Amino acid sequence: MATVTFDEATRVYPGSDTPAVDKLNIDIEDGEFLVLVGPSGCGKSTSLRMLAGLEEVNDGRILIGERDVTDLSPKDRDVAMVFQNYALYPHMSVADNMGFALKIAGKPKDEIRKRVQEAAKILDLEAYLDRKPKALSGGQRQRVAMGRAIVRQPQVFLMDEPLSNLDAKLRVQTRTQIASLQRRLGVTTVYVTHDQVEAMTMGDRVAVLKDGILQQCASPREMYDHPNNVFVAGFIGSPAMNLLDVPVVDGGVKFGNTALPIPRDHLAEAGSRAIVGARPEDLTLSDDGTGLAVTVDVVEELGADAYIYGTSKTESGEDAQIIARVDGRTPPEKGAQIHLTPKPAHLHLFNAGSGERISV
Amino acid sequence: MTMTETSRNPTGTTDHGGGRAGRGDKVVATTAHTALTIWSLIVILPMLWTVLSSFKTSEEIHSSPFSLPKHWNFQNYVNAWTTAGIGDYFLNSIIVVAGALIVTMTLGSMCAYVLARFPFPGSRIIYYLMLAGLTFPIFLAIVPLFFLLQQMGLLNTLPGLIFTYAAFALPFTVFFLFSFFKALPSTIAEAAAIDGAGEWRTFFQVMLPMARPGLATVLILNFVGLWNQFLLPIALNSDESNYVLTQGMAKFASQAGYSVDFGALFAAVVITVVPVLIVYMIFQRQLQGSVSQGTSK
Repeated sequence: MATVTFDEATRVYPGSDTPAVDKLNIDIEDGEFLVLVGPSGCGKSTSLRMLAGLEEVNDGRILIGERDVTDLSPKDRDVAMVFQNYALYPHMSVADNMGFALKIAGKPKDEIRKRVQEAAKILDLEAYLDRKPKALSGGQRQRVAMGRAIVRQPQVFLMDEPLSNLDAKLRVQTRTQIASLQRRLGVTTVYVTHDQVEAMTMGDRVAVLKDGILQQCASPREMYDHPNNVFVAGFIGSPAMNLLDVPVVDGGVKFGNTALPIPRDHLAEAGSRAIVGARPEDLTLSDDGTGLAVTVDVVEELGADAYIYGTSKTESGEDAQIIARVDGRTPPEKGAQIHLTPKPAHLHLFNAGSGERISV
Repeated sequence: MTMTETSRNPTGTTDHGGGRAGRGDKVVATTAHTALTIWSLIVILPMLWTVLSSFKTSEEIHSSPFSLPKHWNFQNYVNAWTTAGIGDYFLNSIIVVAGALIVTMTLGSMCAYVLARFPFPGSRIIYYLMLAGLTFPIFLAIVPLFFLLQQMGLLNTLPGLIFTYAAFALPFTVFFLFSFFKALPSTIAEAAAIDGAGEWRTFFQVMLPMARPGLATVLILNFVGLWNQFLLPIALNSDESNYVLTQGMAKFASQAGYSVDFGALFAAVVITVVPVLIVYMIFQRQLQGSVSQGTSK
């Protein structure tokens, strides 16, 4: 077990001008579960592969513990990886798949068998040890891939979207299992996913990447309550946060037919325009006709709650989509005109130009 | 293929996927099966005739060519094996073909693996050179080959023939296995690397076993091709004690002019064909695997 440090780590693919991963700095604590999340092509997998040694590091360093592993080959890094397609050896039995690394390391047969048995027990795979991967279901294959990593007792687990080939129900189950297994084993884990729900539910900390640049690295709660910029605000949370480009007026920002009061020094930071963010659950229906006028397009009833998907005319005359969570028992009708106001305590304000957060 | 057609099908074939089991499929299936049956007969009947004839005497073959042999006599096989020297030629063929296959398969799979998986400057050129070797007519190479082997002191020797065969079979082997290795998922090699396997171990213990269907296919094709090779040994292997089966057969068939011992000749043909059949049967499943590969995850 060890810490992991990305120190200005950069990867530029040959023939490309822009780096796939640009000066990545993350310090991962011993035993921490860190999730790298972002849209496809954001460099999250590349970062993980750099840590694994499968991808060259063009600039900067990567450390595991105190050890600089930047130029070490994968086999010398003492990391185990779970691949998206599991990458099981098709011609080997489950037991051989799990024990392959130990066999290479020259461990005695008894020890290999014992460790494979232990891992199989944890993962409920004991009945399948003699089977070939072909004869396993998707979920079982996924567990074998996990087992192959566990058996190694490595310093770091690397997981590259290990759940994306499972069906929705199994994914949710396995999500919890992986998280609790990681807590139990206490092995530092770097987990890559494009699914922000996975990121929020599993990670001790979440690192959001976009275009190879780290946007924010924080605990799920912190990330949700204080997104660093517009991108993180829109990416984290489902349904997504409402983001509106609004003009700054005296003492606040304009929100529909009202002005939301904002402290003066924050307004100064914003300039003449700002982006206001409010999560769907932080918008409330106003009875007196104040706030943002919204036409209801779709009402999604979930039982306890209902989500309203509506459109609102912005200042520039464009349609902006607004999502709000309302009481599930008395949702507005489709096509109705409603007015929404945000809860002031959960208002987010971003610079209209840079998209950076203005602390509110 | 309408719904009414499926409803007219009372045998419950609907679990084959509803409207799929319609009249069009039946036509295709019937045509295909007819064609395959005819083809099978074309292949099997001459072979059967050869086997039957190999148990007959020459007179019997001439008088009643299509009847069953009166006595199942193995004398033809004894004659072919010993008097005609087919036994020695058989052994020579085995040595040469086995040697050539070992060299070809080892070098070919390694070459294809490296070309398919490791980009390096010049890899394309090597690949195209291999392709060129595939298209190069062997007739043009015969005379230079003759002098080359002569200079190396390998003319009329079995090792000389082994090397020539290996060089002859290598381009096809590389070409065939290249696409096979190319199609193997690279994550498995990466998983092996993370598990601590070096390049050699990854190749021999992980990637090569995964390419087994391809290896089997190319092995069969090479075996058949080299086993039946006639031109190269005729030109490069004129020492009678080193004759391979094809040469031996030619000699056997031509030496007696018109008074050939047909029974023994058929026996010799059977002896020649049997190894090919055995190799084919052993690797047949793998061959099917290579054809159907990619249809299942």
